Amino acid sequence: MLKPLASDRWNYAAAAHLLNRAGFGGPPADIAQLAVLGPDQAVSFLLDYEKIPDLTPNPDWARPNPDEVRQYRESIQKAATPEEKKKLQQAEQQTIQLRMQQLRGWWLQRMARGPRPLQEKLVLFWHGHFATSFEKVRNPYYMWRQNELFRRLAAGNWQELLTAAGQDPAMLVWLDQAQSKKDHPNENFAREVMELFALGEGHYTEHDITEAARALTGWSLDPSTQKFISRPRFHDDGVKTILGRTGNFNGDDFIRIIVAQPQAGRFITAKLWNYFAGQIPSPDLNEALAAEFRAHGNNFKPFLRAMFRSEEFYAPEIIRNQVKSPVQWLVGSVRLLECELPPTLVSYGMLRQLGQDLFAPPNVKGWDGGITWITTNTLLSRYNDAQALVEGTLPPLTAGDFARKEGGAGGVKAMKALSRVRMGGVDVGKILSPEQRTDKVTIVAALENRLYQTTLNPEQEQTLREFLAAKTKMSDADIVTTIRLMMSTPEYQVT
Amino acid sequence: MKNEITLQTRREFLRRTVLGSSLAWTVPAFLANTFTALQAESADSAIQTPTGRDATILVVLQMAGGNDGLNTVVPYANDFYHQARPRIGQKAEDVLKLNGEIGLHGAMKGFKALYDNGQLSIVQGVGYPNPNRSHFRSTEIWQTASDSDQVEKYGWVGRYFDNACPGADPAVGVVIGSTLPESFFAAKPKGIVFNNPQNYRFMANGAATEESYKKLNELELSSPLPEDNSGGSIAMLPAGMPMTGGRAVDFITRTALDAQHSSEEVRAIAARVQNQAEYPPSQLGGSLKMVAKLIAGGLPTRVYYVSQGGYDTHTNQLGAQQRLLGDLAESVKAFTDDLKAQGNLGRVLVMTFSEFGRRVSENANGGTDHGAAAPMFIIGNQVKAGLLGRYPSLAPADLFQGDIKYNVDFRSVYAAVLENWLKTKSAPILGKQFIPVPVV
Repeated sequence: MLKPLASDRWNYAAAAHLLNRAGFGGPPADIAQLAVLGPDQAVSFLLDYEKIPDLTPNPDWARPNPDEVRQYRESIQKAATPEEKKKLQQAEQQTIQLRMQQLRGWWLQRMARGPRPLQEKLVLFWHGHFATSFEKVRNPYYMWRQNELFRRLAAGNWQELLTAAGQDPAMLVWLDQAQSKKDHPNENFAREVMELFALGEGHYTEHDITEAARALTGWSLDPSTQKFISRPRFHDDGVKTILGRTGNFNGDDFIRIIVAQPQAGRFITAKLWNYFAGQIPSPDLNEALAAEFRAHGNNFKPFLRAMFRSEEFYAPEIIRNQVKSPVQWLVGSVRLLECELPPTLVSYGMLRQLGQDLFAPPNVKGWDGGITWITTNTLLSRYNDAQALVEGTLPPLTAGDFARKEGGAGGVKAMKALSRVRMGGVDVGKILSPEQRTDKVTIVAALENRLYQTTLNPEQEQTLREFLAAKTKMSDADIVTTIRLMMSTPEYQVT
Repeated sequence: MKNEITLQTRREFLRRTVLGSSLAWTVPAFLANTFTALQAESADSAIQTPTGRDATILVVLQMAGGNDGLNTVVPYANDFYHQARPRIGQKAEDVLKLNGEIGLHGAMKGFKALYDNGQLSIVQGVGYPNPNRSHFRSTEIWQTASDSDQVEKYGWVGRYFDNACPGADPAVGVVIGSTLPESFFAAKPKGIVFNNPQNYRFMANGAATEESYKKLNELELSSPLPEDNSGGSIAMLPAGMPMTGGRAVDFITRTALDAQHSSEEVRAIAARVQNQAEYPPSQLGGSLKMVAKLIAGGLPTRVYYVSQGGYDTHTNQLGAQQRLLGDLAESVKAFTDDLKAQGNLGRVLVMTFSEFGRRVSENANGGTDHGAAAPMFIIGNQVKAGLLGRYPSLAPADLFQGDIKYNVDFRSVYAAVLENWLKTKSAPILGKQFIPVPVV
């Protein structure tokens, strides 16, 4: 089991660490508020988020739309000429793309502005874990619905979440379970449950996969309702042997067997630890995490509470030693700079360029994360996107990146749309009080506290002071450029 | 032997050294603690690697998505082939015949020309034991050169850098793209990544800003760079993988320095060098065009990496593959023409790979599903031209779960490229000795 953090080790730095990891960070006032609460209440403030109302309205199209899908299909089939057909197909694709863009913006706003940062951070974890891509699912409603599922069960029970994820329409399409029938069981979902979602390689055999795929036959998708359906006709009701247990198992039985494996607790807690603490746990720590999870009935909420309260979570090798994911970088910057999230088109372009395309993870393994976020290219992009963010200008790559993705015509359209985009930028009045603005030393110190919650090394501080000293007025623009420079450092890329 | 170091600041050191010399790139990362050791290492001529200015160069070309090898190098005279593919099989009159049985897909005129010039080697039936049909897993196997039941942390190119290029310039590896491919993962990561040279720079509003950026990003490390730098990455999360030491910020600091210096070099070359061939206006064409410029510009690179996506042709394969293979052949042909005009063709080798071939039988949607073995193309002036290896049997009795069986382990091709082209021992890199296929 984990050791609780001694109360006397709770301070501003610990509170900052908690907010950075169990949320997306925030301005000094938010950290100070957590610091005052003390560790139990601080963790509770973030984790017992259902006590905080979240009134974010759903996108207006976020409901089943089987009739719409059917109408599109029928009118495309009935099209009199190839030109007409193409036109109808394009119209449908435009609707889909528009909704995906709204969905990205909707989620990013929840992360950047919403009242429940830990819930959204968990949704991002589950999205990366169950790594389902719109590129195959092609249905914005399904993608939204899955996102909502992750939100609803974000800190819930593992068996319930894994079952719900398997019966989720987007997942049924993504891993082909919807097409799996007794005569031709599709092994995709069964395989990924064992390899990527719940156990990890080396903890099952190919035979387990074949048998599990048989158990899962019958889990399907009803296009007329766009909901999960259990189809007895597709189900193989013979006897199967999965991980040493034999019986006439169905999909629910399979998930129950999986979650009951001791390895299941080790696997998911190691992945959560890596996500929140930024390290792969040692075998001893992993056992402690798994024991904690087991003791709490495979429920994530009490497990997370123990984790965020633990001494291990505040160890020196954990603090400020995690590479920010692109989403953490963008959303975190918006939160701590108290500025607006750039328009979705721009945010989307930035995240794509930085390697984290929401709703389109690179494969079913999700994002590798860690230092793989950082290449010479993505690092320079972060530095340049920082300029766009603080100055309220367009980042250099968005238009071109978007053009490549959408093809020539879409690119031109995107360019036009971008030329009308207005971004907020940083309001220096919110960032620095009049007292903090008095001289270059206090400015740099205040900005360090806000951006890193620690200090840079003396040479870097000297560089920043010299930069400001050369500006006689130290205008808002000069301070904005200073902030950009401070974001253009290796130190800003970690949290 | 200990070298005297008269070095006031690292910044000064950086300014004084010639950009691209082996020390200028690497020393900053290690300076605080291992400068002396590196100096000694670099002074030892036995392990000094030749740079891309004079040495051989490998261009790895990824055909992502799993290219259908059977419709690429077509066994057009084979009855089993046509029986398995009544709708999408390539007809004898459409293929570019290489002999009485085998022909290239009709869109690959550029490759046919290379073949006729003795510049194209086709290794038939390349794969590995116990093939995996998952895109990412099979890609990972090709990228890390692992056995199919083993997970390797580092890529084969990365291990080449670790083993054979100590103290090399980070630009020893160049990836045209936005992310580092797994083949470049290394204990001491090297390689620069960019997709557009115009944007591959720090955009500054004023000289003072740029100057400050440079100072902020040329700093000492808080601790030495650890040998093993995989901290926080969760590639496969095998249970019990140890926690790794080292601070993430140190890795980023080194990357920042690499970015700063390579950005200047790359943009200078991009502006200075003119291409001497017409490339197709595709992503791959653009990538190879850039590589040609960098080679002409004398970047000290040993391995370039480019990729072309879209080969996952489950539905309506004919049109898609036609376009992709046409683009591939035209782009590579333009690249070789360009290199020839530069006078560099003799020291550049292109090697293609794809994570798997596809099922022998077409599916119900006019496409093909994930399969196993497929051909690899090796292009250059010094290749052993022609068809190498045997074409795998398509007789139903010889198939394994509907897939052809491999004849050549892809690591035998890697071994050949490492030993006969990059001139290094392959066993330490590939984990064991594979018998090189005589491609070069």
